[in-house]
Amino acid sequence: MFATLDRAVIGTQEAWDAPGLDWRVMNDQAPAATDARTQFEEQALPFMDQLYAAAMRMTRNPADAADLVQETFVKAFASWKTFTQGTNLKAWLYRILTNAYINTYRKKQREPYQGTIDELEDWQLGGAESTTATSSRSAEAEAIDRMPASVVKDALQSIPEDFRLAVYLADVEGFAYQEIAEIMKTPIGTVMSRLHRGRRMLRELLADYAKERGIDTAPTKERGGKTAASRSPK
Amino acid sequence: MTDCGCDQARRDLEEYLRHEVCKTQHSDIAEHLDNCAECRDEALVAQTLTDVVARACKEAAPEELRDVVLARIREVQATH
Repeated sequence: MFATLDRAVIGTQEAWDAPGLDWRVMNDQAPAATDARTQFEEQALPFMDQLYAAAMRMTRNPADAADLVQETFVKAFASWKTFTQGTNLKAWLYRILTNAYINTYRKKQREPYQGTIDELEDWQLGGAESTTATSSRSAEAEAIDRMPASVVKDALQSIPEDFRLAVYLADVEGFAYQEIAEIMKTPIGTVMSRLHRGRRMLRELLADYAKERGIDTAPTKERGGKTAASRSPK
Repeated sequence: MTDCGCDQARRDLEEYLRHEVCKTQHSDIAEHLDNCAECRDEALVAQTLTDVVARACKEAAPEELRDVVLARIREVQATH
């Protein structure tokens, strides 16, 4: 069961491969400068789709997402000489993106105050565990798997921003906790707590959606009990 | 390898699935999952949630954005 799941994950990540890039343009600029730009374009620009997708989840609209990506690449190119070749370029770009977002876009948006969200107790956030404890979890997994992308995005959009970002960076980008901590400039413990809570909220929202639609995640088939019942002689 | 039991497996399941360090030995969680269908299903839900989020969040940047970015980079280079 796990081997199959793992393969499925790898499969979805592979789809992210950027198309081949060939933006080299011959011109008469100084060779060193041209090399830096060529190098930047070859290495950094293939991350554009990924950065744009992240920017969409941050800003929630295509125009702001495009602006944010633009700003990210401009800033990244301006400090390209500080990037150490061979280190994690994707994480480096995400740090710039996240910084740019926090410093400019977040200020423009009227987000509800979230300063103390990390301090909320678990019971205040509710728990998916309790709502699904008696349900069949494999039915829940199936229901989640069938969720339309728009529903999943709406659910993600509705959880607090810091949680959303942690979930995004872990689940979509597959960053390690340490990398997320560096991108979000928080301790690893905070990353873990945001990720766990964010995912629990997400799971609960999706379970609610499934319930409203009458999708069956209801308690059915207790393991073992099912066979006995269905085998009862006529 | 020893089966770590449901409580520890549930607590560290996310870390186990992400290959992150946690308080329980990964091999002990693996053994528990072999033995416990409930926790296996819990792991399935966790993994499915990740897959579904990753799938839902795919976006392609608009074509014109590439052109704009390339132009801006050249501008930056020209001013340096």
